[in-house]
Amino acid sequence: MDRTQVVEENYANPKTCFFHVLFKGAAVAFYILSALFVNNFVIIFVVTVFLSALDFWVVKNVSGRILVGLRWWNEINDLGESVWKFESLDQESLARMNKKDSWLFWWTLYLTAGAWVVLGIFSLIRFQADYVLVIGVCLTLSVANIIGFTKCRKDAKKQLQQFATQTLANQFTSSLRTAFSVV
Amino acid sequence: MSENDTIPLHPSSQSDIDEIESLIYAAPSATVLPARPPSPPRATIPISVPVSTAPKPPSPVPPSIPITVVPTAPVNPNTVPSSRVAIASEGFGSAPNTLTEPVWDTVKRDLSRIVSNLKLVVFPNPNREDPGKALRDWDLWGPFFFIVFLGLTLSWSASVRKSEVFAVAFAVLAAGAVILTLNVLLLGGHIIFFQSLSLLGYCLFPLDVGAVICMLKDNVILKIVVVGITLAWSSWAAYPFMSAAVNPRRKALAIYPVFLMYISVGFLIIAID
Repeated sequence: MDRTQVVEENYANPKTCFFHVLFKGAAVAFYILSALFVNNFVIIFVVTVFLSALDFWVVKNVSGRILVGLRWWNEINDLGESVWKFESLDQESLARMNKKDSWLFWWTLYLTAGAWVVLGIFSLIRFQADYVLVIGVCLTLSVANIIGFTKCRKDAKKQLQQFATQTLANQFTSSLRTAFSVV
Repeated sequence: MSENDTIPLHPSSQSDIDEIESLIYAAPSATVLPARPPSPPRATIPISVPVSTAPKPPSPVPPSIPITVVPTAPVNPNTVPSSRVAIASEGFGSAPNTLTEPVWDTVKRDLSRIVSNLKLVVFPNPNREDPGKALRDWDLWGPFFFIVFLGLTLSWSASVRKSEVFAVAFAVLAAGAVILTLNVLLLGGHIIFFQSLSLLGYCLFPLDVGAVICMLKDNVILKIVVVGITLAWSSWAAYPFMSAAVNPRRKALAIYPVFLMYISVGFLIIAID
C-alpha cells in the first residue's frame, strides 16, 4: 500500500496544541466579532485583554515547555539586578521534539502578532483610540512571548555550540592522554 | 606502560587540561546535576531543583528543565574516562507531574504569589526599607488585575460615557506607571523597570478599596474622607521604594509625580457620579 509508506508524524501533544491555539484564536475572534454584536467597549476591552493575558500565560508556562522545550523568565539576583534566564532541553530531547508541534507553536505566535498588527492598522485608520489601546496591550503580550522564546532558542543554540567546542577539546585532551599512556 | 602517573605532562599541558576541565564543570547558567551513568533522556522520575537559581521563577514548575550541557552522542565510559559530562537529562519527565497537576494548582500558586506580593507592598513589614528585597518576585498579574478592577469600578460608577471612563482610567494608570518608572530612571535612580511597574500597580490596591466604597455609598463627604485615607495609604506604600531608588537630594523629584498621579486618580474617584 502506498499510503502507509508516507509516515507522517502526528501531533505529539494535541491537547497542549489545542490550548495554545485556543486562547489566541478566541481573543482575535472575539475582538473581530464583537464589533458586530457587542455595543459596550468595556466588555470588549476586558474580555479581549483577559483572553490575551491567559494566552500569554499558557504559552509562556505550558506550551513553550511542552511543544518546543524552551522556557524563559526574569529573576532579581542578590545584588538587586535583573537577570533574564533562558532554559532549554538538552540536544537529543530537542531533536526529538515533534516537528509538527514546534511548527504550530512558532507559526501561530507569528500569525497572531501579525493579526493584531493588521487590526491595529484598521483601528488607526478609523481613528478609534480606544481600540488601538486594546490592540496595543494584546500586541505587547504577543511580542513579549515572541521575543522571549526567540532569545531562548538563540541561547540554546549558542550553548550547544559552546558545548560542542568543549566536547571536542575534551576528547582531544583525552586522546592526548591515552596517546601518552601507551608509550 | 599504561600508568598515567609516571609520564609527566608538559607543564603547560596540565594547565590547559585544568582549564578545559574547569570549563566543563563550570558551565554558565547550567544546572549542577549529579553525575549519573548515561541513561536515556526522558527518565520518568526526574525532579531536580536547580542549584544556581534564586527564588522561584514565575512558572508553576518547581523542577526546572535541565540545560543543554550534555553530549548525547554515545558516550562510552571506557574511551572517555576523564569525562564527567555524562549528565543525563530529565527531559520532560517532571512535566507530567505538573501537567497532570490540575490547572487549579498552578493557578493557586500564582494567586498565592500575588497575595504575598500584595502583603509585602501594601502592609507594614520589616522588609519595606530595602527595595532590593521588597518585591523580589515581582509579577505583573496583580497590577493588571488592580488596574482593570479600578477601571471597571470607575466605569460602573459613572452614569454616562462609561467606556470612555474605563479607557481613560486604564490608559492613565498604565502609562502613568511607565512614565513614573522612566522618571526615576532619568533622575539617575537605580530601579528595575518591571519591578517598579509591579510595585506601582500593587500600590493601587488601597485606591481600589476606596473606589469600591465610593461606588457603594454616594455621599460626597464620605468620598472625600475615604479617598483621602486611601490616597495617604497608597503614597505611604510607594514611598520607601521610590525614595530609596534615587539619591537623597532628588527624593522629592521622584516622589512628587507618584503623589500627583494618585491625587488625580483620587479626584477621578470623587468626581465620578
